[in-house]
Amino acid sequence: MSEAGAAAVFADHQRVLALFTQGIVGRHLHLKPFDEGRPAAAPSRISTDGESIRLPAQVADFPDARHNLGAYRIAILHQVGYLECGTFAFDLRVAGERMALPPAAPAPPASAILRRLRPAPRSAELERFFALWPRPALLRRVFATVEALRIDTVMRRRYPGARRDLDRVLAHALGRRPPAAGLRPLASLLEALVQYSLGRPRALLVAADRTGLADALLATAAPVEADGASVYDSAAAALAICAALAALTRPPARPGAHGAGTDEAPPDEPPGLPEAAPAAAAEVADGEAAPADDALDGAEVDFRGELAPDAVFRRLASGRAGTLEHDGAAESAVPEDGAGNDAPAGAARAPVRAAALPPTPRSFLYDEWDCHAGDYKRAWCRVYEHRLRGEDAGFIDDVRRRHAQVARQVRRRFDAIKPESLARMHGEREGEELELERAIQAAIDRRAGHAPDEHLYVRRQRGRREVAAAFLVDMSASTDFPIRDRAAEAAAAAAAAAAGEADPYVWGRFGAPPDPPPPAAKRRVIDIAKESLALMGDALVALGDAHAIYGFSGSGRDNVEFHIAKDFGDPAGMRTWTALAAIEPRRSTRMGPAIRHALAKLARQPERVRVLIIVSDGYPEDQDYGPDRRDIEYGIADTARALAEAERAGVAAFCITIDPAGHDYLRRMCAEDAYLVIDEVAALPAELAKVYRALTTGNGRGPRRRGRSALRFAHPGTGADAGPASGAAPGAPHESRR
Amino acid sequence: MTSRTPPAADASSRLASEPWYLPVADEIAIFEAAYAARLPVLLKGPTGCGKTRFVEHMAWRLYRDAATPRRDIEIPLITVACHEDLTATDLVGRHLLAGDATVWTDGPLTRAVRTGAIVYLDEIVEARKDTTVVIHSLTDHRRVLPIEKTGELLDAHPDFLLVISYNPGYQSVIKDLKPSTRQRFVSLEFDYPAVAVEARIIAHEAGVDAGLAERLAQIGAKVRNLREHGFEEGVSTRLLIYAAELVRGGVAPRRACEVAITRAVSDDALVQQAIADIVDVILP
Repeated sequence: MSEAGAAAVFADHQRVLALFTQGIVGRHLHLKPFDEGRPAAAPSRISTDGESIRLPAQVADFPDARHNLGAYRIAILHQVGYLECGTFAFDLRVAGERMALPPAAPAPPASAILRRLRPAPRSAELERFFALWPRPALLRRVFATVEALRIDTVMRRRYPGARRDLDRVLAHALGRRPPAAGLRPLASLLEALVQYSLGRPRALLVAADRTGLADALLATAAPVEADGASVYDSAAAALAICAALAALTRPPARPGAHGAGTDEAPPDEPPGLPEAAPAAAAEVADGEAAPADDALDGAEVDFRGELAPDAVFRRLASGRAGTLEHDGAAESAVPEDGAGNDAPAGAARAPVRAAALPPTPRSFLYDEWDCHAGDYKRAWCRVYEHRLRGEDAGFIDDVRRRHAQVARQVRRRFDAIKPESLARMHGEREGEELELERAIQAAIDRRAGHAPDEHLYVRRQRGRREVAAAFLVDMSASTDFPIRDRAAEAAAAAAAAAAGEADPYVWGRFGAPPDPPPPAAKRRVIDIAKESLALMGDALVALGDAHAIYGFSGSGRDNVEFHIAKDFGDPAGMRTWTALAAIEPRRSTRMGPAIRHALAKLARQPERVRVLIIVSDGYPEDQDYGPDRRDIEYGIADTARALAEAERAGVAAFCITIDPAGHDYLRRMCAEDAYLVIDEVAALPAELAKVYRALTTGNGRGPRRRGRSALRFAHPGTGADAGPASGAAPGAPHESRR
Repeated sequence: MTSRTPPAADASSRLASEPWYLPVADEIAIFEAAYAARLPVLLKGPTGCGKTRFVEHMAWRLYRDAATPRRDIEIPLITVACHEDLTATDLVGRHLLAGDATVWTDGPLTRAVRTGAIVYLDEIVEARKDTTVVIHSLTDHRRVLPIEKTGELLDAHPDFLLVISYNPGYQSVIKDLKPSTRQRFVSLEFDYPAVAVEARIIAHEAGVDAGLAERLAQIGAKVRNLREHGFEEGVSTRLLIYAAELVRGGVAPRRACEVAITRAVSDDALVQQAIADIVDVILP
């Protein structure tokens, strides 16, 4: 490691490398750095688990920065190769048909049986394959080397442009190998195999060989270099090589010692230095049992990393079970990956439980504002777009029936808007009436011998209102809370406000203690939100405004869920209503990326006035939304930033929250006239309509200005609690209020 | 659209020679059957995937290749590239001044209806809304074109066929095809072809060797994996052919891909870098 200036640092190239990887593989793989300074950290070698690839934090092997970057690409291509070339799709049954597998180990002692019972069904087929050999570590090592050779050969064929980088990386790795000749026979043969896989000519290796076995050994490995060689060719070659090596070693004195197949050295055991003992023929016959496995740990090839079939297996298994390691808030499993199609085939993907979600949602990356660093984290959040599907066809009728009165109110309110929208279009080529002045001008032109203008007509156009509105509904788990009657709520809010001084988490998140079960608690916060949106949607269809209804939730930055009940292009039909009915409480509230995604959708709308209305029940919060989950400032700052982005993009954003503590954070997220706290959930539909009208009946200068006067709502208790300065710049670090 | 050696304009519309087209699935059979029943056809698919070429090829097949009286028609295919100022008048026709009198002049649609040509309205959703109305009466059993200005109700020639194309990639509310229009057509969906097929297309169109064509097709497939990052549609077959043509013209392959692919599909510097990296490892 030298030439710090030329080193390629992972963080600098992460995004390009991630895009590169996605392009090559066809789906998103997380690229994660490992910290080389901390040997205790989990896997500190390059590896993949099928969903992510671990890479070193920097590469400084070459004096040229481009070459170091090339080494990253090679490391990625190599790991991708394992995934693409079926290494982890290894199936023991298929292998059994293709080659003579060693018989399963003789019955091991009882304790070993017990030990086997647990891991056996829980490990990858490859691990079980290794366990077939009396010395699993040996087979693993040989297989890894042979398979790496196969992968590199495929890479060479498939990505010819990478050959130069590959050659350079191989040469560098080769330069760090010990001379094979100086090792004990078994180690020297293994070393010869590694060096062969790194490109050292076979003739050289054979010439240096003192055991006389190298030639045959390397010839055995050669078939994996053929075009079309599969993982089974590697497995067969590895078995053959192990058999040849067995000739070197006396059968172990105690046959049962290795039979269990579970006592192999863990892969990250500190690698013993290759023993530089003289290669005495006598030693071959002696004492292989204990020290030999050390010889297996001879220096590995860095760029090839480590084969971790169990990691891939576990990843698949967890995907299959749909278990959520994070929080148990959501009962439905979301597919964890964007597209698992070409994941190892061994474990077929079970149908996802949440049938509402399509199998491979599209995903989008968004920056996130880090208020502590004062900068954006690039491409930090991955938003998965899900289409909601539902079956509750009775939902909309139910809403219309139960809220007939509110619906009428809303409609009346909107009716007042409509007349503005009929427009007389002048200077049309076709229309209902002739426009006199233009007709006269045309007659004059014709007399004068000019070509007359054809735009002579006035057309009455059912003018589109130039409005596009997106509604963004918080689908966090807390919206599952039943709605209490008003008096109880007021009391609870007061209590919560008092308690909140001590614990902002409880205070902000759960407006009232959920303990006293409300008397007729059938409807939840989310139900009210849904019904309000259904009423709005109904009214907007009549009004003719383009609108979309989205929900958001998620857990963690890599899995922000963006649920589409109705997109802008969708017709307002039964499918939309049933999709809306399918909005259900899920997980957390990472608001920033959801806003950004909604903005991206709004940006594609041609309408002049664009509005984003966010309906939530609490402050933004997610498991890794900020360094500390209890620190709500990070999320607030990011959301404020996202709302500022909305303003810059010409989108009028408005937040409606039903969290009684909402004033405290909303005033830091939004302008004073861009949010509303409603103390009674049932008032949501009416308030929503009011807000909508105020936002969209602006007059050329943008809705915000008009909204300022129109949106003077009575904020109960606004003056009472003076929080931190409301004028604090969004994104500026706030001290935590604790 | 992808014609390599720019032929004389009327040579292409008269379809003197066969426009080369490599079928991806059963689209030729479907189109022929649709034509036999005179069912209007809607072609859906991303930009540069061969829709226009397909129509040209089918027109050649149906009017030039077969031994029918249709061979006599001078211009078998009339293509109209729709744009946002295109009105129904532009399609149907208008009165023009000739001296002191006005003379009716047929628009391209009327001409095709009279002569029995195939009319191809490319990117129909770009046109003004009123255009979709005039095609409605042509697409059902009536097969008539009412010409409002002259009061004529024109019966379509028995050979007439309407073909429209539509790119769902960049639709928005107002630029979407209404169901009432869409449901009048047999819909053929196009996508970029598989690597092997695309390689053959590139090799043929650009006249490059199979090896380079194969590499370019692979680049196309990989770059399309990045569709969600700032560009909607991925790299078109047309762009890949451009790259091949540049290479044939003496440009170094990596440079050709840079100007024809990398720079063309995205403006995001990081995405460009990633695409350049993909190109770099795939090209020899």
